[in-house]
Amino acid sequence: MGYVPVKGGTQAIDASIQRIKFERLKGQEIIDVETIMSTMRGMVDQVMSESSLYSPYLAALAIKQAEGSMEEAVFLMRAHRSTLPRPYYSQTVEPEKMFVERRISASFKDIPGGQLLGATYDYTHRLLDFTLEEENLEDNLQWLQNYQDQLNQIEALDEVSYFPKVVDYLREEGLFETYKADNTPPIDVTKRSLQFPTTRSERLQVLTRGQTGAVTSLGYASLRGYGQVHPTVGEVRVGFVPIYVQHPNEMEHSDEDEFYIGEIKVTEVESFVPTNVKNENNEYELEFEIGYGICYGQNETKAIAMSILDQCLEHPESDFPTHDEEFVLLHIDSVESTGFISHLKLPHYVTFQSKLDSIRQVKKGVQTVES
Amino acid sequence: MKRKRRTEILIQGDVQLAQKLAESIVDTYECREIIAPQYGLTMIKMRETAKNSLFYIGEVLITEAKVEINNRIGIGIVVGMKDKLAQHLAIIDAAYKAELPETITWETYLIEAEKQIIKERAKKQAELFETKVNFETMEV
Repeated sequence: MGYVPVKGGTQAIDASIQRIKFERLKGQEIIDVETIMSTMRGMVDQVMSESSLYSPYLAALAIKQAEGSMEEAVFLMRAHRSTLPRPYYSQTVEPEKMFVERRISASFKDIPGGQLLGATYDYTHRLLDFTLEEENLEDNLQWLQNYQDQLNQIEALDEVSYFPKVVDYLREEGLFETYKADNTPPIDVTKRSLQFPTTRSERLQVLTRGQTGAVTSLGYASLRGYGQVHPTVGEVRVGFVPIYVQHPNEMEHSDEDEFYIGEIKVTEVESFVPTNVKNENNEYELEFEIGYGICYGQNETKAIAMSILDQCLEHPESDFPTHDEEFVLLHIDSVESTGFISHLKLPHYVTFQSKLDSIRQVKKGVQTVES
Repeated sequence: MKRKRRTEILIQGDVQLAQKLAESIVDTYECREIIAPQYGLTMIKMRETAKNSLFYIGEVLITEAKVEINNRIGIGIVVGMKDKLAQHLAIIDAAYKAELPETITWETYLIEAEKQIIKERAKKQAELFETKVNFETMEV
């Protein structure tokens, strides 16, 4: 069965495009891109993460254009990304160099450097704040001034501290396995489509750009029994990591001659997962492994869920679906999943007619036999 | 001053410093624009801390510019859409590549700006430390 070209929808499509613009404009309110950037941090971060393109400005523009539809905004970002050249690859970003704004552990109360709550909704009342209906700039500026006055009372530190990883202390005690730096060049899933079995670098790249809801749901499914991973969060940290690139033409390379190009905000998670392993005496004993999660911006639920799925996919021997890399990796991408689902609403007249014809033929045959 | 340190200062600090340094070169030397500020991507390679391996977290939008001074090409790269800053960084990079005498006098400004950046970061960190939890074990 081939596809049959048809025409006749041009005017309707033009009218539909005007209609979608009308829907965005009819309220006669305009939201600036800068307003979205300043006030919709969670959405901006989520769009950047799912589109795998770090640019708060472009993410805010995409949200405006898409009227807040996350899948449409991510699609716009991915499409825009495909129009841009990629002249540089960064030098390896080491997360230890993060300027930490938030860092907590669910495993230990006393972690070296302390637990830093930073900015979080975790301890807020989840009650609608109706005072926001009357919010005005004057009051906000006054609040900011008061807060700044409060901050001005705080004495500066002598120098900036960088926090060591919680897991480093456990490794020093021999409680966790230590891995030598593996400098195998990663595979880029945007250059080569996934081939199974995948490498660790491919899995992590697909997980970090996965749709927040999909990654969270599958991570949750694993916890509820459709997987064998139930972790304790060793560390969640949110902060800025610096990005450096090498000069494209200079023959002699020195770290001191790299370009610093700026920093990006990420959420990083290490989850501790108990596993049973056989020791030298062929007896099972409890050990801990680490699940790793990371994503652009502040999106802690996604990063924790990613750490669960990372650990699941490190154990493909389990029969659960969350340990099946084809099941997980091929279904969590926003553009792929929403694109395929939404294509079902596009014309399938010929395919459907052929199915109807088949059913009519079958029913006709049955009636002939019965008579 | 080496490129890594000076780009950290020029990008993290007040953008007016890059503008000031670049303008002092444009006024004196012929600066030929090789690539006008343009947007592109940088793929970010990260090290994960579970197995200590490498992977790509995603791309970041950058602005890039290239400028030639005395047959030496300078490059300016910065995260985001920052045409002017990328251009100024390229001029400054070209000035260092061409070993222009002005670069020696810039050292003082750069070191001063670096001190300010460190001070502001340390202050910001102190402010964040206000959210540090001070656990106290309760008697039951």
